[in-house]
Amino acid sequence: MMVEKTIGENPIMVSVEHVDLLRYDRQRKESTILTDISFFARQGEITAIVGPSGGGKSSLIRLINRLEDPTTGKILLEQEDIMRLDPLKLRQRVAMVLQKPFMFEGTVLENLQRPFLFRNEPLPAVEGQEVRRVMELVRLSSDLLGRDARTLSVGEQQRVNLARALITEPSVLLLDEPTSALDRPTGDRLAATFREICSLQHLSVILVTHDLRLAGKIADHLIYLEGARIHETGRPNDLLTSPASSELRRFLAEPEDREGESHA
Amino acid sequence: MHDQGVIHLTLMNLALAYGLILLATGLAYLLRAGEARQMLWASVRMGLQLLAVGYLLDAVFTINTPLPVVMILVIMAGFSLQVMGSRIRLKMPGFYRIMGSSIFIGCSAVTFLFCSLVVGYAPWYDPRYLIPLAGMIIGNSMNGASLAAERLAAEIRERREEIETAICLGATARQSSETAVRNAFRAALIPTINTMAAMGIVALPGMMTGQILSGTAPAVAVRYQIAIMCAITGAVAITAYLILLQGYRSYFTSAHQLRERQD
Repeated sequence: MMVEKTIGENPIMVSVEHVDLLRYDRQRKESTILTDISFFARQGEITAIVGPSGGGKSSLIRLINRLEDPTTGKILLEQEDIMRLDPLKLRQRVAMVLQKPFMFEGTVLENLQRPFLFRNEPLPAVEGQEVRRVMELVRLSSDLLGRDARTLSVGEQQRVNLARALITEPSVLLLDEPTSALDRPTGDRLAATFREICSLQHLSVILVTHDLRLAGKIADHLIYLEGARIHETGRPNDLLTSPASSELRRFLAEPEDREGESHA
Repeated sequence: MHDQGVIHLTLMNLALAYGLILLATGLAYLLRAGEARQMLWASVRMGLQLLAVGYLLDAVFTINTPLPVVMILVIMAGFSLQVMGSRIRLKMPGFYRIMGSSIFIGCSAVTFLFCSLVVGYAPWYDPRYLIPLAGMIIGNSMNGASLAAERLAAEIRERREEIETAICLGATARQSSETAVRNAFRAALIPTINTMAAMGIVALPGMMTGQILSGTAPAVAVRYQIAIMCAITGAVAITAYLILLQGYRSYFTSAHQLRERQD
C-alpha cells in the first residue's frame, strides 16, 4: 500500500480533486450539481459533509463508489484513480450505506450473505467468524440472524445494513443520511456505533448529513456544502462555534430540526 | 378460391349484420353511455379497413410471389410497433431498436421453424399459410413484448433502492436487476399461459372456429390450434427474453451504474 503519510496524521484514503458534476434532463437542460469540489478523507477518521438538502451532498458521495461519475475532476482511492479500477472491485473497498435500509427477502443471515452471493464466493455460515464479527461490531444479537430481515425495526434494519456493508472488510465506508429514517435516540445510538467502528476497524468514514448536531458530535472533520460548492472545511468545533462563511452562519441560525427532508 | 362450400356473404347480408351495430348504438344511446358515436365510427372503420385488407390479400394471393407477402408482414409489424410506441409511456432507452430487433428475431425464428417443420408446406411464402400463421405469431408477440417492456420499466423505477443497494454491495447490473427481469418475463407470459389453460373450455379459439366455418374437420382444426398456440408461446417467450436481455442493460452503464431516471 502506497500511502502518503504526514507525521502525526492518519494517511489519506480518499482524495477528491476539482470535481464538477453536471446533469442533463430530458430536454437536455443542464443543471449544476457540484462545482469544483476538492477534499480528502483520512483513515480512522469520520469526515462529515454537512449542508441543506438539495446542496449536492448525496450526489457527492455517490461519486466515490461510482454510483455516478463526475463530469470533470478526479477521485483517488489510496492514490489510485478510481476510474482505472474495476467498479465491482472498487465497491468492495468502498462500501456504502444508503439512507433507507433496504432488506432483501430472507433472513438477516441471508442479507449478510448477499455480498458473497453477488461475487460468487462461498457464503459465510451462521457460526462463521465473519458473521459474528460484524454482528458484534454493529451491536446486534446473533439471535436475530434467523429472523426475517423485513420484520425488524428500522433501527435494527439500519444496523443490519451497516453489518452487510462491513462484512467484506472495506477500507472506506460511505454513509448517506444513515440516521434520518430513525428517531433521535435510535439515531444517536447508531451514530455512537459509527464512531466505534471507525476507530476499531481503522476505516475512513465519509458521512453525509443535514444534522449538524450529529456531525458535530462524531466527526473529526467537517465540510460545509451548499449550492453545489464547498464553503468551509475544518474541525467541527471551530466551524460550529466560529463559522467564517455567511452560508454556514445562516445554516446554523436556522431551526435545527429539519426532519422530513428528502436527500438530494 | 379455397372455399369448400362456404356460404358467401353478399353486401346485403353484411348490411343486415350492421343492423346489430345499430341496435348496439341504440342501447348505448338509451343508457346515455356516450359511446354511441364512437361505436358507429369504429364499426365504419372496421368495415373499410377489413374490406381494404381483403382486396389487398386477394391481390397478394393471386400474385403469389414472396415479396408482397413479406412486405405485408413487415408493414403489419411496423404498424404495431408504432402503436406500441405511442401506447407505452415509460420507454426504456433505445426502445424502438430493442423492441424492433427482438420482435423481428423472435417472430421470424419461430415462424420459420413452425412453417417449415411443423406445418411443412411449400413454397415457404405461400400466402395462404404464411400470412395468417405469421400474423398470429407477430400479433401475440407484440402483446407479450409490450407487457415485458412496460413491466420492466415500472419494475426498474420502483426498485431503484433495491437495485442501488445491490450495486453498492458489489452486484453486477444483471444481478441487481434480476427480480425486475424475472417479474417482467412473467408478466409477458401470463396472458398466453392463461389463454392456453382456458382454451377449448372457456372459449373456442378464433383460428379453429374460422377453420371449422370454412369446412375443415374439427379434429384437424384442433390440431392446428394446438400447434399455433405452441408457436405463439415460443415466440412470446423468445421475444420477451430478447427484450429483457437488451432492456435491462439499457438502464445501466458499463460500470454497473443505474442510469438516472428519464421520466
